[in-house]
Amino acid sequence: MLSVANISKTFGTVKALNAVSFDVHDGEIMGLIGQNGAGKSTTFHSILNFLTFDGQITWNGQPLTAADYDQIGYLPEERSLMSKLTITQQIVYLARLKNQSANVTKPKIKDWMARFAVKGQPTDRINKLSKGNQQKVQLICTLIHDPQLIILDEPFSGLDPVNADLLKQAILDAKQRGATIIFSSHDMSNVEEICDSLVMLRNGQTVLKGTIDDVRQQFGRTRLFLTTDWTSNQLSELTGVTSVKTIGPHRYRLQLADASVGPAIFDKVTAGQYVPEFSQQPPTLDEIFRTEAGGGQRE
Amino acid sequence: MNKTWIVTLETYLRQVKSWSFLTLVLMPFLFVGLSFGISYLATPNQSKNDIAVVSKNTALRANFLDSSGIATTDKYATTSSAQRATKRSDINGYLTLTVKNNQLTATFHGPDAVSSGDQAKIQRFLSTTQTALNLSQAKLSKQQTRALAVQPQFKQRLQKKTATDKLAKRISFYIIVFFVYLILTTYSSITAQEIAAEKGTKIMEVIFSSTTPRKYFNGKVYGVLLVIVTQLLIYLLGGVILVQVAQKSRVTADFWQQNAGVINQILHNLLSINLLFALLAVLLYTVISAFCGALVTRVEDAGKASQPVVYLNLITFAVALAFQGNPTNTFVKIFSYVPFFSSYLMPLRLINNSASGLQAGISMVILLATIIGSMAYIGRIYGGLMLQTDELGFWGNLKRGLSLK
Repeated sequence: MLSVANISKTFGTVKALNAVSFDVHDGEIMGLIGQNGAGKSTTFHSILNFLTFDGQITWNGQPLTAADYDQIGYLPEERSLMSKLTITQQIVYLARLKNQSANVTKPKIKDWMARFAVKGQPTDRINKLSKGNQQKVQLICTLIHDPQLIILDEPFSGLDPVNADLLKQAILDAKQRGATIIFSSHDMSNVEEICDSLVMLRNGQTVLKGTIDDVRQQFGRTRLFLTTDWTSNQLSELTGVTSVKTIGPHRYRLQLADASVGPAIFDKVTAGQYVPEFSQQPPTLDEIFRTEAGGGQRE
Repeated sequence: MNKTWIVTLETYLRQVKSWSFLTLVLMPFLFVGLSFGISYLATPNQSKNDIAVVSKNTALRANFLDSSGIATTDKYATTSSAQRATKRSDINGYLTLTVKNNQLTATFHGPDAVSSGDQAKIQRFLSTTQTALNLSQAKLSKQQTRALAVQPQFKQRLQKKTATDKLAKRISFYIIVFFVYLILTTYSSITAQEIAAEKGTKIMEVIFSSTTPRKYFNGKVYGVLLVIVTQLLIYLLGGVILVQVAQKSRVTADFWQQNAGVINQILHNLLSINLLFALLAVLLYTVISAFCGALVTRVEDAGKASQPVVYLNLITFAVALAFQGNPTNTFVKIFSYVPFFSSYLMPLRLINNSASGLQAGISMVILLATIIGSMAYIGRIYGGLMLQTDELGFWGNLKRGLSLK
């Protein structure tokens, strides 16, 4: 288990992290979300001991040291490989630094390349690969030694939906074997789809924390999807409705001031009659991100 | 395998497999080989320098061919064949040996005069043979013969080989200084640029999530040092082969023989503690170059990274040249203990016998301590320097890097 307890970091006069805390258990995936500059990479760098910081980070109950490096798989935000090496040389070198011998790594390379649909041969030079394939080779470098602690900084950026699915599957496989996974992402659908929990940072501070459901429920069922013959104007005059957006023919999305106004609106709109759709939901992660990450100003 | 050595091996193999390394190492050999080849082609074939010997006295002819000490050929025994060979320029000419009225006469026929050295050898042969002839004609008793055989003696008691010494010292000094300067300049640039190029990439974050910056830094330095040692070994091996060839080749054998004293003294000066000073200088400069490389922010600035080290090397090189004729100067004495300068100035003093083994040892200990101290300190701050990628200028980068770790 990875435990981050009350860590803070200051660069000059800028407080990059302010008392951030969270735990990620074995076999759990945690999403670290926030706008650019929120402190996600600084959190990762602190976990990896790249920085000095106040607070404590432990791995399986012990401070994380160089002795634990072999169990870590880290993918940095910007992709970078040694362009003059071949795919095999690059993967073997980085795996050797994780104490996995070339004899163990080499036979795995073809399988991993197939798994990520890397176009090319193991003997191809990195600089001959497309950007997308280089990114996939870097993912292989991160995962090929079966790390127990996987830290992925924006792993989905630049990947098309097909490749993003391949990565999601690899992450879920790692979870299956009990790895502790933490990743950052701007794409909330990925977080929502595979994460067990999330932490949202804003200006170095934790603004949201918990399981995906818990976080969504914190905001109440304030979104109402409704299909009705009522007009937009009629709907906006209902008590407790703060805004109405037309999203299709006779289909609307209502923003409610409070979840508790739902039953009253249901009674008025249906008047005992059938309506094809009346669905009261909490906001999506994407909507939460838009409102919370930027400063808590809701629509 | 220890992670430091994994980095060392990777750095080493990447460097020695590169074209730039091959070019760097092979260039001097290509240059020497080319010069040698041209000289070889330009030097007339040995057989063309030979002279034929013609004599009706076959014993005399055979004796001359065996013992004269000059380049001869026994291929042409008659005047006519020797004449034809001379005309075709197959030989340098021919010598006729005659004995008339107990007088030995040698006559050289050829387009050019015999060299003074060969003339002396011919004269010596003639004198010896004529003396033997005269003695046999005089019918002297054994005692008389022995009395006449007494030769005067010429002895030399040389004060000191000062001229040879001076020349050897000067050549040794220049070889060491230029060699160290070239190696330092080359490897300072290579190291600083390699580190700076890595700094601009995120691969460092991946590597530092696998091993400590200190281990990585040490591995890089050892890797570059191994490359330099490889280059030195190739030069040593090549040098041994060249010495063997030079001693035997007709192009250089005479020169080698005439200057054997100077050459041996130069080799002795080079293959001594001076070589260790050169190697340690390279190590110190490599460490400082890596540090400079880590202070650059962008890959595009990699070229600038080595400038401080290159300038420092230039200054110490200029100081060494300025004081090369004055090894006992107080400045030289003091700075021969100061790292960076000591690698030039202590060898200068040692070559000129103005420093003792103890003094050289002290200078080396100071140099070693500086290297170890630099590696320990830079290894400690290396992670911070390499992960600091904001453009803050030299001092700003250093300050920010120090604050990260």
